[in-house]
Amino acid sequence: MGFCRIQLLCCLLLTLCVSSFCSAQSAVVATPSQVEAAYLYNFEKFVSWPSDAGQDPAPFAICILGEDSFGETLNSLIADETHQGRKLVARRLSSVAAANECQILFIGQSEESRLAKDLIVLQKKPILTVSSLPGFLEHGGMIQFLLENKKVRFSVDLPPAEQSGLVLSSQLLKVAVYVNSKPAQEAKQ
Amino acid sequence: MKPPVRRSSIAARLTWMNVLVSGIGLLLAYVSFLAYNLYAYREAAISSLSGEAQIIGSNSASAIIYNDEVSARTTLAALDSSSEVVAAAIYTPSGELFAQYARGAAPPPQPREIPNGQMKASWVDGLDIVAGSQIVLQGKVAGTVYIQARLHGLRKQAMQYATIAGVVLVFCLVVALLVGTVFRRILARPIVSLAEVAHMVSRYRDYSLRFTPEQSYDELVSLTHAFNEMLAEIQQRDAALEQAKTGLELRVEERTAQLQAANRELEAFSYTVAHDMRAPLQTLTNVCYLIQQTDHGEFSGERAPMLAQLSVSVSAMSAMIDDLLDLSRSTSAPLHLKQLDLSRVASSILEGLAEANPDRQVETVIHKKCQVNADPGLMQIVLQNLLRNAWKFTGLRQGARIEFGCAERDGATVFFIRDNGAGFDQRFADRLFQPFQRLHAVSEFPGTGIGLATVQRIIRRHGGDVWAEGEVDKGATFYFTLDSAKS
Repeated sequence: MGFCRIQLLCCLLLTLCVSSFCSAQSAVVATPSQVEAAYLYNFEKFVSWPSDAGQDPAPFAICILGEDSFGETLNSLIADETHQGRKLVARRLSSVAAANECQILFIGQSEESRLAKDLIVLQKKPILTVSSLPGFLEHGGMIQFLLENKKVRFSVDLPPAEQSGLVLSSQLLKVAVYVNSKPAQEAKQ
Repeated sequence: MKPPVRRSSIAARLTWMNVLVSGIGLLLAYVSFLAYNLYAYREAAISSLSGEAQIIGSNSASAIIYNDEVSARTTLAALDSSSEVVAAAIYTPSGELFAQYARGAAPPPQPREIPNGQMKASWVDGLDIVAGSQIVLQGKVAGTVYIQARLHGLRKQAMQYATIAGVVLVFCLVVALLVGTVFRRILARPIVSLAEVAHMVSRYRDYSLRFTPEQSYDELVSLTHAFNEMLAEIQQRDAALEQAKTGLELRVEERTAQLQAANRELEAFSYTVAHDMRAPLQTLTNVCYLIQQTDHGEFSGERAPMLAQLSVSVSAMSAMIDDLLDLSRSTSAPLHLKQLDLSRVASSILEGLAEANPDRQVETVIHKKCQVNADPGLMQIVLQNLLRNAWKFTGLRQGARIEFGCAERDGATVFFIRDNGAGFDQRFADRLFQPFQRLHAVSEFPGTGIGLATVQRIIRRHGGDVWAEGEVDKGATFYFTLDSAKS
């Protein structure tokens, strides 16, 4: 196991990780943000977008709004990867207005103050919203990273995703810490 | 079910052959069936194990990706329902154990490289089989699942099949025995009865027996046909042989009767001739005697010896006729057996001879008490002939000696007359007893050549035998036995 850890560390550090799946295993040692980058990248495997049906030639964009805690880790993970034949790209956004071309949107720590407004803008758009900000799901976010026993896990709020036309696979929900499948109003009651 | 094996061994052999063939067939069928079943069972087990591995794999992809061991273990725990699975494990692509399942304390199956281009593989690990399946998500290997299973069912199934096969085998053997019995009745019984008929034929030599089979089958019909034909042939030959034999016997009897009749006629003729010749001869003898007695000088000179010669010739002829009559009588006269002392008979004959020839000096030795049960008249002729011969052939010998005696030899009494006379050449001993055969010239020793033939006939009529031993100039010994001497 030690050998694998060292190898993976090297991979991450040199941004030459051959197998992205190994990153999950290395989470214990890797920083939470590096694990989050891997998780973020892997969501495309378990989520269906409405645009998947069509022959969209545009790249599949994983966007980061606000502060980018992933750095080169994400770039190296998505290099030469595709989703349904579409090339994966990473984009850094300064404003939520530019998020329309994104399929996955990670909202950084710096957006905490604007979170509610941002999420209203993103409502019903086929964009998978992910963040590690606390209370993210309560504001209408879809997936929220959290730390449990020093391991990065996530919770899912299904209604916003359903409203946006996104389909999350049961496999994904199975590994989530918590899945809310009731609409927001009911949940609040 | 125990047939008389020795008596109908063909039937028993047929039955056992039946049983053996069906037994071997069943055994072969069972073995191949079992082998195929075990193989198929194993293949099915591997196939289902691979399928399970694939399902487990696809269900635990997200768990690996999102590092959720609990979820992976939960997925693996579903294998609990497969009783044959003993252990399972999920490995990360780098070969690290991610999650495992074990029934009892089984160690997790060790990873093994799955060949390139193949999603799954299976292999045998000791008693177990292991199926490995790669977890592939969107073309990428996320990990590998290994499931290890112990095929308890394999042995159980083999045992079940063995039990079933055993029952079927026993059942089939019983059926084979029954069928064999039926076939024995159908096939072997006619053969057995054929054998019985053959046995009867050879035992009682009754070739009129025929075999009629109860039922008809091709080979048996031809066999029966051949057998019956053979019997008919033998019977025919037997009859022909019997007929020939009877015919031959009849012919022999006929011929014998003819010969006997001819012989009797001949003997009667010779007897008649001899008898009838005696009267004129007696007349001649008497006339000669009268002429000689009443001679007053008419037969002087040359005529006297002529008359003497005539007288001698007439006497010789008379003797010959007597002998011929003896010979004739020796065969035709009925036997009157009596207890008789041959020593006395011999003694009286020799006395008579000595009286008739007073000029000869002969030493006679006669053993006492040579008792015999025989015809006295015929025995008189025998001894007279033999002793006269001895007397005659010692005529030229100085110190002549004649011995009569009897001796026990091989439980029979042998009588003998021994002399030291002229003897004879032993090579011609057989000719002595043939009529008119002489070993000496008449001029040397006169005789008719009939005496010994008469002796032989009489001795043979008494069931005895006569033979002679001799050497030229050394003497001769005549032996005879009498069968009646014993009784």
